[in-house]
Amino acid sequence: MVAPAIALAFIPLLLTVLIRCRFYFVLFYRAVLVRIWKDCATGLSREERAYQYVLTHATPGDPDSILDAFDVWCSKVEFISNIGPKKGKVLDRLVMELSPLTVLELGAHCGYSTVRIARSLPLGARIYSLEMDSRNAAIAEKIIRLAGFDDDTVELIINPSDEVIPRLRSDYGLERLDFVFMDHWKKCYLPDLQMLEGSGLLGKGSVIMADNVLFPGAPKFLRHVRKSGLYEWKVHRATLEYSKGIRDGMAELVYQGTK
Amino acid sequence: MPQDNLTTSENDIDIGLEFEGDEDEVSTFQEEHERERHRAKISDGDRERRKRGNGRRKRASRAEEWEGESQARPERRERGRRKRTRSDQEAKGSDRDEEVQPKTKSGKSAKTRKHIKNEKTRKMEEEEGEGEERHAKRKKKHGSAKKEEREEDGGKRTAKEKAQEVKRKKHKKVVETSSEPSEEDDNDEEDNEEREVRPESLSSEELEKLKEAVDERKKLIQTLRGKPWPMKKKCVTLRESQEFVEKYEGALGKGKGRKLYAYKVMMNKKWMKFQRDFENFKTACIPWEMKIKEIESHFGSSVASYFIFLRWMYGINMILFCLTFGLVMVPEALMGRPYGTIPRKTVPRPEATSAMDFAVLWDFGGYAQYSVLFYGYYNNQRAIGWLKFRMPLSYFLVGVGTVAYSYMVVIRTMARNANESGVGDDNSFNFNWKTFTSWDYLIGNPEMADNKFASITTSFKEAILEEQESRKDDNIHLTRFLRVLANFLVLCCLAGSGYLIYFVVRRSQKFALDGLDNHTWWERNEVNMVMSLLGMFCPMLFDVISALENYHPRVALQWQLGRIFALFLGNLYTFIIALMDEINLKREEEQIIKFNITMWEASLYNGTVSVNSTAPAITIQPADVPRGPCWETMVGQEFVRLIISDTMTTYITLLIGDFLRAVLVRFLNYCWCWDLEAGFPSYSEFDVSGNVLGLIFNQGMIWMGAFYAPCLPALNVLRLHVSMYLQCWAVMCCNVPQERVFKASGSNNFYMAMLLVILFLSTLPAIYTIVTIPPSFDCGPFSGKKRMFDVIQETLESDFPAWFGKVFSYASNPGLVLPFILLMVLAIYYLQSTSKSYKEANVELKKKLQTQNEENKKKKKLAALKAQMDLEEARKASSQTAKQQKNSNASQQDQESDEEEDHSSSQRLHHGKNGRHAPPPVREQEGQLPATRAPVPRSYQHEHHGAPGYLPGFPRQSEPRMHRVPSLQRH
Repeated sequence: MVAPAIALAFIPLLLTVLIRCRFYFVLFYRAVLVRIWKDCATGLSREERAYQYVLTHATPGDPDSILDAFDVWCSKVEFISNIGPKKGKVLDRLVMELSPLTVLELGAHCGYSTVRIARSLPLGARIYSLEMDSRNAAIAEKIIRLAGFDDDTVELIINPSDEVIPRLRSDYGLERLDFVFMDHWKKCYLPDLQMLEGSGLLGKGSVIMADNVLFPGAPKFLRHVRKSGLYEWKVHRATLEYSKGIRDGMAELVYQGTK
Repeated sequence: MPQDNLTTSENDIDIGLEFEGDEDEVSTFQEEHERERHRAKISDGDRERRKRGNGRRKRASRAEEWEGESQARPERRERGRRKRTRSDQEAKGSDRDEEVQPKTKSGKSAKTRKHIKNEKTRKMEEEEGEGEERHAKRKKKHGSAKKEEREEDGGKRTAKEKAQEVKRKKHKKVVETSSEPSEEDDNDEEDNEEREVRPESLSSEELEKLKEAVDERKKLIQTLRGKPWPMKKKCVTLRESQEFVEKYEGALGKGKGRKLYAYKVMMNKKWMKFQRDFENFKTACIPWEMKIKEIESHFGSSVASYFIFLRWMYGINMILFCLTFGLVMVPEALMGRPYGTIPRKTVPRPEATSAMDFAVLWDFGGYAQYSVLFYGYYNNQRAIGWLKFRMPLSYFLVGVGTVAYSYMVVIRTMARNANESGVGDDNSFNFNWKTFTSWDYLIGNPEMADNKFASITTSFKEAILEEQESRKDDNIHLTRFLRVLANFLVLCCLAGSGYLIYFVVRRSQKFALDGLDNHTWWERNEVNMVMSLLGMFCPMLFDVISALENYHPRVALQWQLGRIFALFLGNLYTFIIALMDEINLKREEEQIIKFNITMWEASLYNGTVSVNSTAPAITIQPADVPRGPCWETMVGQEFVRLIISDTMTTYITLLIGDFLRAVLVRFLNYCWCWDLEAGFPSYSEFDVSGNVLGLIFNQGMIWMGAFYAPCLPALNVLRLHVSMYLQCWAVMCCNVPQERVFKASGSNNFYMAMLLVILFLSTLPAIYTIVTIPPSFDCGPFSGKKRMFDVIQETLESDFPAWFGKVFSYASNPGLVLPFILLMVLAIYYLQSTSKSYKEANVELKKKLQTQNEENKKKKKLAALKAQMDLEEARKASSQTAKQQKNSNASQQDQESDEEEDHSSSQRLHHGKNGRHAPPPVREQEGQLPATRAPVPRSYQHEHHGAPGYLPGFPRQSEPRMHRVPSLQRH
């Protein structure tokens, strides 16, 4: 039998852990528990609920209001790991500066980041958005159309990234990607990056942006980037979307070409 | 332009040369006044010509301005390209050329200090135009008498000059030989031959010169480290100078003298080498020096300071251990009565069966309790063995001596540290200090360097924010409230932990009364466990709470240290108070036992006497004799247990918290859903403050308990030894450098002060028990005495002559002691006031220096301003004349770019002179200047914009300038 006094001595530890990891507990609650509960209660998937909310609260044809509605839903109601408003600003600025003509987005999810990128693109630019899950893709499609972007601007491809990337050149007639945004499975960051390198679609000055490289984290990806010497890179440090205390980062890589 | 270069090149040496004393020296010894005068004449003529040019220039200025504007763009581009394509050296070389011009002009006044060689002047007369320009450059080189520059010169040669190559070659030879004493002024051919002249054939005069040159070189080698040159140049210069010295040093002196000289030189070298080896050997002898250095290079000086502190502690404990071991334990073990002869040296009968069990031994009961390790084992026999060793006296004096020694050492170290760190501790030049002193030069690991870099930048940001915040105070109420709340929470925490310990100790007393055997191991070790656990977890909680307060990290660290200190102290004192209770209990028990024993003895003797008076006295086994509880041994045991459990918790936390965590993070990272290394658990950092405090409190416990358990210093030595290796290993293997790196030098005395406080606080209860509580009647060296310190009186009475006792009694008379104490207090007061006045004087002096500096600065500023005006004029004139010449030569574009470079370089020069203040008049006059200058660093910076780990452009931005400054002295 452990004496109760000894157990009492562990209270400070417990408190410390609770306070230290409060953001993670909150995240766990919002992203997992609430989701399970709502799934059972409504019978709809999370993305569908989000879409319903956006449909009722946003102005059609206005990307800004759609993004705002998403942000409100994600921070107040439930949690979806979109890129979020803060990191989104970094993305916006980068897209504005580069004004890329061909953009590849890996992982459209609900179309939040697609809308975000598309609204700051120059005229005549085209964004190819990949989504693996067809249900999500359907919602993303609706969101994108709701925001007022047509097929010329956004092309949604419903396929896993590792199948699409090798065929980009042949099927879609792409010559060069100016900007790549990665926000799909963190495990796929590295293989997809290597595939992109191999495909020859990246030219000197192509920018690759990868979200969530610190919190869910893509250590192998970062290691590769560091070692390969093909990129000039930096990590924009920020916090996880819709959460204050969890540190996260976006990696910005500028392809330098083989030397 | 050529003329300008001509007139100014040698002045350039003068001016650039506040740094470069030695180049000057080399050239001065070849100075010739005649030639100089001649030279001055020429330059006068130049000046006149320039003046004329100036006037013309004014007239043409409008047109030129327009021209400059229109050409600004292509020039810029061209310049950028050139910079990129040119090799580093060459670029510097050209920069230098451009800078020469404005510089020299500003230094017109210094013209009299020209060092001209006759060959040069002659050549100058011969050559004209382009050639002259080149020549001037070469002359400069000649002045500096550096061989390596010859090579650069060769590299820069263009096809145009091929015709003059022969001449120049000769000239180079001159350059080389010029540093040698055998130089002849008259013709080049001779110079050529002189190079091969053997030292034997030299006249005494020449030898003198040679010696001088050798000395010069030696001096150069010595002062080389302080030169503001690029490393490459330093290396080349060093190598060449060494070769030179090597070659000619042995050649000095004649015949026998020469051999002797060579011998001397050789011995000198050997001696130096031996000294260096000896130094190395000495460092190798310092224990763990290499380990600590390695850690220092990886983790910075703050972590290393912990290990140095640990080593220092180890040394002190070694001495304490030697004292107790050599003067107490060994004599008793060797010369005292052996085990089993008297009751206090025997395990009592009821305990005898379990006395050798590991569980009992681990608790320091059984055989361990009845051994030299504890107070109770020692006999009160006055003198033991054939040496007549005064055991009780020695025991007492060693107890006092260890404490006295510790006080002495701690205070001495503190005083020394105060001397070292007392100088630079003022906040008046906060940013200056930060700029120039924040780098930790012991860092040898790139990751650590990155961290340090980041921490310096954040500290700058914080300092700037602080400056801003000191002016405005927003939401002070919220901050105050949060701070009060945090302190309240911490107090609650402290009170809770104190109460828990008190509760546990009380309970353990109850257990002790019931008999320990009825309880589990957990219950028996509750006190130690709870104390260790609280000591481990509460600091973490404090850390979390302190996030509320929003203090500056350094302040936060001090608060944190203070809180942990309070916690440890509270725990320790609760423990001691509980121990006091226990002592009182034991003493009551003792009274009863004492009474019982007299009864028992009486009955024993009565019984025997009544039965048979002649029978031999009954021999009673010492194990059967009833005995008192011996509270001293109990106290000693408690402390030993505490130390053991503390050590165990330290090691276990190390293994679990650091090692296991590192292993998990490292290997689970392959199959985890987020990045463990960069994200949440990460690797642990080395907690300097917690470790230092742990060490200090551990030492406090040693000081407290050492009197009752002589084995404590030995245990502590063992512990420190092990933890040295273990922690070194753990730090290198499973910790990451701290994100917030701070320097340790300032906090060193802080640790010492804490150690002193702890020393005082820990000796307090020890002295209290020694002075007030009478020793047990049947155990320990002082048994049978009323008080422990009676042993001194006893010794005085029986071992010293009577007069000594008398003197001592007089000396200890309050009538004598009180005045003495008074005198001491007065002396302390006097010393303190004098030191205060010295400090004030220091402050005054500092102020004076400051004001003087400011005045000087003002003067310099004025002078610089004036020089600038001059320079401005001269520049205009020069560009005017240059333009004319170039016009005649065609190639307008080149010239323009040159001129533009002139502008920027001249401005750079102002920067160099005036520090940060770029003079406004210059900016106004050179309207196009900022525009032309800006893109150059910008484009440079842009290339490195995305470099990892750096703030955008910050470290790189300064690079071009850093290159340029040394390049001033390049040629």
